[in-house]
Amino acid sequence: MSSKETCRTELRAAVRHLSDRGLYSASKWAAEQLMGIEQDPSKHTPSHTRFQRGSSSIRRPHRRAAESSATPSGGVSYVSTPSMVGPEEYDYDPIDTDFYLLAKSYFDCREYRRAAHVLRDQTGKKAVFLRCYALYLAGEKRKEEEMIELEGPLGKSDALNRELVSLERELSTLRKNGTIDPFGLYIYGLVLKEKGNENLARSVLVESVNIYPWNWSAWSELQALCTTIEALNSLNINNHWMKDFFLASAYQELRMHNESLAKYEYLQGTFTFSNYIQAQIAKAQYNLREFEQVEVIFEELLRNDPYRIEDMDMYSNVLYAKECFSALSYLAHRVFLTDKYRPESCCIVGNYYSLKGQHEKSVMYFRRALKLNKNYLSAWTLMGHEYVEMKNTSAAVDAYRRAVDINPCDYRAWYGLGQAYEMMGMPFYALHYFKKSVFLQPNDSRLWIAMAQCFETEQLHMLEEAIKCYKRAVNCNDREAIALHQLAKLHCELGQTEEAAFYYKKDLERMEAEEREGPNMVEALMFLAQHCKTQKKFDEAEVYCTRLLDYTGPEKETAKSLLRGIRYARDVVEHFPP
Amino acid sequence: MAAISKPPASFAITPHKLSICVLVQVYAPPSQISIPFPFSSVSHHNRLGVFLLSLTKACDGIFEPTLDELIAQLREVAGLLNHWLSDHLTRRLSSLASPDDLFNFGILGGSDANVMDDDQIMLDPNSIIGMFIRRCLLAFNQMSFEGICHLLTNIGTYCKESISGYPPYELSHLDDSTNDPNPSFEFENMEMDNFVYENVSEDFEESKMGIGRSPSQGHAPKDFPELVEDTSISPRPTLEHNDMNAEVYPGALSSSDMSKDMGALGGTFLYTSWQVQGYLSEQAVAIEKHGSSFPLNAFESILKKLQQLAPELHRVHYLRYLNSLYHDDYPGALENLHRYFDYSAGTEGVECVSPPSGCSSFGRYEIALLCLGMMHFHLGHPKQALEVLTEAVRVSQQYSDDTCLAYTLAAISNLLAEIGVSKTSGIIGSSCWPVAGIGTSLSVQQQLFVLLRRSLKRAESLKLKRLVASIHLEIAKYDIMHVQRPLLSFGPKASMKLRTHPASVYKELWSSSHLINEFGEESSLMTTDGAFCTAWLRSLKKPTASLIFAQENDTESCSDAFEFIAQPSSIPGSVLQLLGSSYLVRASSWEMYGSAPLARINALVFATCFADSSSLSDAALAYSKLIQHLAVYKGYKDAFAAMRIAEKKFMCVSRSRILLVKLQVLHECALHRGHLKLAQQFCDELGVLASCVSGVDMELKTEASLRHARTLLSANQYSQAAAVAHSLFCTCYKFNLQVKNATVLLLLAEIYKRSGNAVLGIPYALACISFCQSFNLDLLKASATLTLAELWLSLGSNHAKKALALLHSSFPVLLGHGGLELRSRAFITEAKCYLADPSFSVSDSPEMVLEPLRQASEELQLLEYNELAAEAFYLMAIVYNKLGQLDEREEAASSFRKHITAFENPEDMDDSVYGML
Repeated sequence: MSSKETCRTELRAAVRHLSDRGLYSASKWAAEQLMGIEQDPSKHTPSHTRFQRGSSSIRRPHRRAAESSATPSGGVSYVSTPSMVGPEEYDYDPIDTDFYLLAKSYFDCREYRRAAHVLRDQTGKKAVFLRCYALYLAGEKRKEEEMIELEGPLGKSDALNRELVSLERELSTLRKNGTIDPFGLYIYGLVLKEKGNENLARSVLVESVNIYPWNWSAWSELQALCTTIEALNSLNINNHWMKDFFLASAYQELRMHNESLAKYEYLQGTFTFSNYIQAQIAKAQYNLREFEQVEVIFEELLRNDPYRIEDMDMYSNVLYAKECFSALSYLAHRVFLTDKYRPESCCIVGNYYSLKGQHEKSVMYFRRALKLNKNYLSAWTLMGHEYVEMKNTSAAVDAYRRAVDINPCDYRAWYGLGQAYEMMGMPFYALHYFKKSVFLQPNDSRLWIAMAQCFETEQLHMLEEAIKCYKRAVNCNDREAIALHQLAKLHCELGQTEEAAFYYKKDLERMEAEEREGPNMVEALMFLAQHCKTQKKFDEAEVYCTRLLDYTGPEKETAKSLLRGIRYARDVVEHFPP
Repeated sequence: MAAISKPPASFAITPHKLSICVLVQVYAPPSQISIPFPFSSVSHHNRLGVFLLSLTKACDGIFEPTLDELIAQLREVAGLLNHWLSDHLTRRLSSLASPDDLFNFGILGGSDANVMDDDQIMLDPNSIIGMFIRRCLLAFNQMSFEGICHLLTNIGTYCKESISGYPPYELSHLDDSTNDPNPSFEFENMEMDNFVYENVSEDFEESKMGIGRSPSQGHAPKDFPELVEDTSISPRPTLEHNDMNAEVYPGALSSSDMSKDMGALGGTFLYTSWQVQGYLSEQAVAIEKHGSSFPLNAFESILKKLQQLAPELHRVHYLRYLNSLYHDDYPGALENLHRYFDYSAGTEGVECVSPPSGCSSFGRYEIALLCLGMMHFHLGHPKQALEVLTEAVRVSQQYSDDTCLAYTLAAISNLLAEIGVSKTSGIIGSSCWPVAGIGTSLSVQQQLFVLLRRSLKRAESLKLKRLVASIHLEIAKYDIMHVQRPLLSFGPKASMKLRTHPASVYKELWSSSHLINEFGEESSLMTTDGAFCTAWLRSLKKPTASLIFAQENDTESCSDAFEFIAQPSSIPGSVLQLLGSSYLVRASSWEMYGSAPLARINALVFATCFADSSSLSDAALAYSKLIQHLAVYKGYKDAFAAMRIAEKKFMCVSRSRILLVKLQVLHECALHRGHLKLAQQFCDELGVLASCVSGVDMELKTEASLRHARTLLSANQYSQAAAVAHSLFCTCYKFNLQVKNATVLLLLAEIYKRSGNAVLGIPYALACISFCQSFNLDLLKASATLTLAELWLSLGSNHAKKALALLHSSFPVLLGHGGLELRSRAFITEAKCYLADPSFSVSDSPEMVLEPLRQASEELQLLEYNELAAEAFYLMAIVYNKLGQLDEREEAASSFRKHITAFENPEDMDDSVYGML
């Protein structure tokens, strides 16, 4: 990892480059990370910082010298990018400044075609990039509009970004001539990805991030193209601290949550105050089902950044799971006042209504979220859950299926599908879906238990298979402790008393450790007492019986009679040793 | 889902529809003259009318034709007017440059729907074309400004493509390739009904046909009708040739399809939704019919594209499921099946049928189960299939979907019939058996029997005609294959008499095919109409004009006329398929009861009349029956010739069926020629086939060991042969294969006869005869009688009279229905009887002996059965010797020598036949 100072200077320059080119979200990201680095105690005053950032262009020559020396010294293996003369190269092309300024103003006013038109004859790299980017965005805008306009006879028609073809042609010639800068490569990668040419897109994006690593948008596009760990490992990326960010997020998408968590914690060493990293850590913890920690993180996040909406839907999920009515309503209120037309906000409100048991309203808000972004995965899944609650199983099935078709790795939706079919009394059919979800998330005990219960249903009654599933659930740290008890019961039902006793004992130990009482305890004690008695382990049996005496009810009487029987049997054994 | 997607609109204006509007304007201008301006005659005018009519209805592929294609079609129709018309069309279309032009565009101009009354066109608003125009009008009036903008852009690309497009001489060529995605499948007589059950039931038939697998004999006509037809019809051999290739080689089409895909996305438009649905149903039928010969990838790419264009059309997933199912792609099929039912809840495509009461909110997931069960069945997982179907029964009972229940029961019985009896306990015992009231104590056959009756009753009460028919068929099959004992009285006191009931088989068959009458009157469905129009448009491409305008060439129009009439048949394809399979069942029943000519006739009827409408595997079955018949009755040369044709025809499709018959025939042939090593090899290969995917096929397994015993017998290893036969007998007894047991008994008698223990053989022969009597196996009985006669004869000359009497009693059946081997054996035995009879003198009536011997030797030479032929010639030589006819004696003796050397050195013979392997 480079020094904090290096990161800081690099990011500062990057923010300027990126926003200068209209790559706003990337520049937002870079700025967030910039602020995430611990401030130097010497420059601690906010005014100082502002000054420093505002005057960065003025002090350019000085910083360039500092940087060029700083970069290599940061670490031997880190990139010293031969093609990159220095970040300042990306700052100005003095000749076409005026055109560029006009175009950029148009661009900022979202008049993309006008911006592109102004730059039609400009050949500077920056101008070319802005023109291409503006054209691309214009095409995207038109595409969005067309998607609504063009409802074909059989559902939605195929709206295309009509600029893609010409953009691809131009950018590929530029790339061949070698007159393309990393930003142009980024656009080229974007176009290629949109056109479905994923391999080339991947290599172009790798090229882009190798030359200019601070463009987070390029990294995210690249990450979306790495759907398997093999694809990820095959990328040939130079070492740079940005790569760690990339890997962390890629691991997260590939459901390697622990690896991702480790990366983020490592990054936190430098970017101590980064909200982004905190949110990502929360995400990983959420996927590892550490809800307490997630809640703590989000509370802190909201303190630092009260108007944040990104990732807040996950927070609402946690609150939902913990049934925190007031906290959830507070959150919903706050995000709604901040920006009600964000899918996340709608999702939070939907969650709130769902917690309140008002499923119709909840569906309405999820549907609004989907109107805003029809590929919003979790809204589809959550809506499926709502339909399940409303007993509208076919609608639920449809919603889940759409989620699955958007992302076939969404184990929650597969699980939901299984549940819906099980509800309809089709356990065998449901097994297909449970299998899918278990395949994707083999370490989740809930999924294994659901599958086991499916096997256990009276229609299927495949107890051996159920036992196998419960065993997996036990190995996956089953929190609700259903599996042990069920295992014991099933073995008992199959007449395998040894195994049953083993699992009852385990269950008992666990209940003791967690200080839980209840019918399961009585059942376990009862079985063990009887089992030990028949096995002639009278001492053990006596222990269980005396423990049973603590409970009221019929068990107490049974225990008493058992004790009597034990004493008698013991006498017999003593008097007539075998 | 009702939740998000809105119901798809059915009609949108596209450039193609605009072109039709332009043409309609030309066709029906406001003037009152009977023949409007550009046309030269009434028929000329009418031709355009028919063309327009077809255009509005055709569902050729899923995409509307491009302007080029349209102009090419116009050229065929309009003759001289072609240039004027296409010019007019392109001019009109390219003159549209701004939204206002569209408003001023003739037909579409008016703001209300009454334009047809004013001066624009003269059309009856209620005619089909009138309706079409009105729908266009309505769609146009409802269009938003954005929509009009899009329409303008689309018209631009539509015209540009044609102008910048291809030089005219390439047009027709291109046209062929682009219209070709499925030209090979002539969709005659197909029902295009969207009902899911339709497909399901066709699945049934498809898989059921696998049952009549009993060894068969048949006679194939030298000319296989399809081949002849193909060559005689095709006016342009290259095109037809292409089609045939496409049918045979999967993927041959893909290149042209791909090329279409490349350029197409720019300006393609889907037909209206019912046209697309019709297309999909057509394809579904085609997939089921052609099985794995259907081009997988080409069709998959079409479907993918269709899915892109119409994501709310979930039926595409069903088609993808079918496509992967018939190419044995298990994961693909599973995935697509689940996806289809997740999206559509089993209700899409069933609109035309009123949903059964009370299950509207639930969806019809029981159909999903039914389909899943069929899928597992098809892919050879009987256990899973049974589990799923059990669940289907439960769910459909729960939601009182009686129709589905009936189909599910039928599917289960089908499954039970198919997986046979090899795995009784494994399957039935495992899960709680759905069909309440049947304990697991009953054997599979008994369960099947009860199930069949139950589902028949249910289907009858629901008036599911097709299902009733297929269940009847199923019962008939059951009756053929299974020996019944009175079902209701079990226990020791019940009479254990086993019988077969041919009469009941034929009753079932009759009531099955009786249903066809009811379909004769059923009105044809809309998509049939569409398919008809498609066929008409397609036939335009053939250089000769079609028959409606038959002024040009009488002879040519003749074949066209045939085609034209053949296209629209009101009998749905599935019914025809059912009917066809009833003929197959008839054939196999006659085969068993022992009437070779009738069996052959039925197989021939199937091959000639129903081969087009049935699935390929059915056709393969019929062909294999015919081939076997040839082998038994005409000798191996003919059989192998026919086999070569069949192999070409069924290349890679249902290979196993043809492979099976090939092995059988080769085994017989090797046995007869004395090629025992080869025979054993073929027999082993046959045994390997028995362990195929769909459980162990008992039928095949027993046959393999029967053949093994026969091979051992030919090698004179009597004790081993007897051991094999005994164990086979035990197996058959264990699995209740009584009919097979009769054959085994006969084999045992044969073994004892050959080993010289005639006394031991007689009881077996007698047992076989009594079996045959109660099972009505006439031919088998006759051959058992023949064996008995031989046994008596070998006991000594004093039994010759008795033997002769026995022989003569079964002569009619033997000579009338028996194969070459059986007949010649009968002849030789007869001669031997006479010779052995001390009261018979050769010199008095030499022809009594010589005539049968001559017959026998001729037929045996045909059969290349060297051993027996040698015997015949030997006897002949002896007789001639007695008679003192030395020349003839020498001739017979030399023939004897020839055959005996051939028998002893089988390797010397030509191996061309075996080269087939």
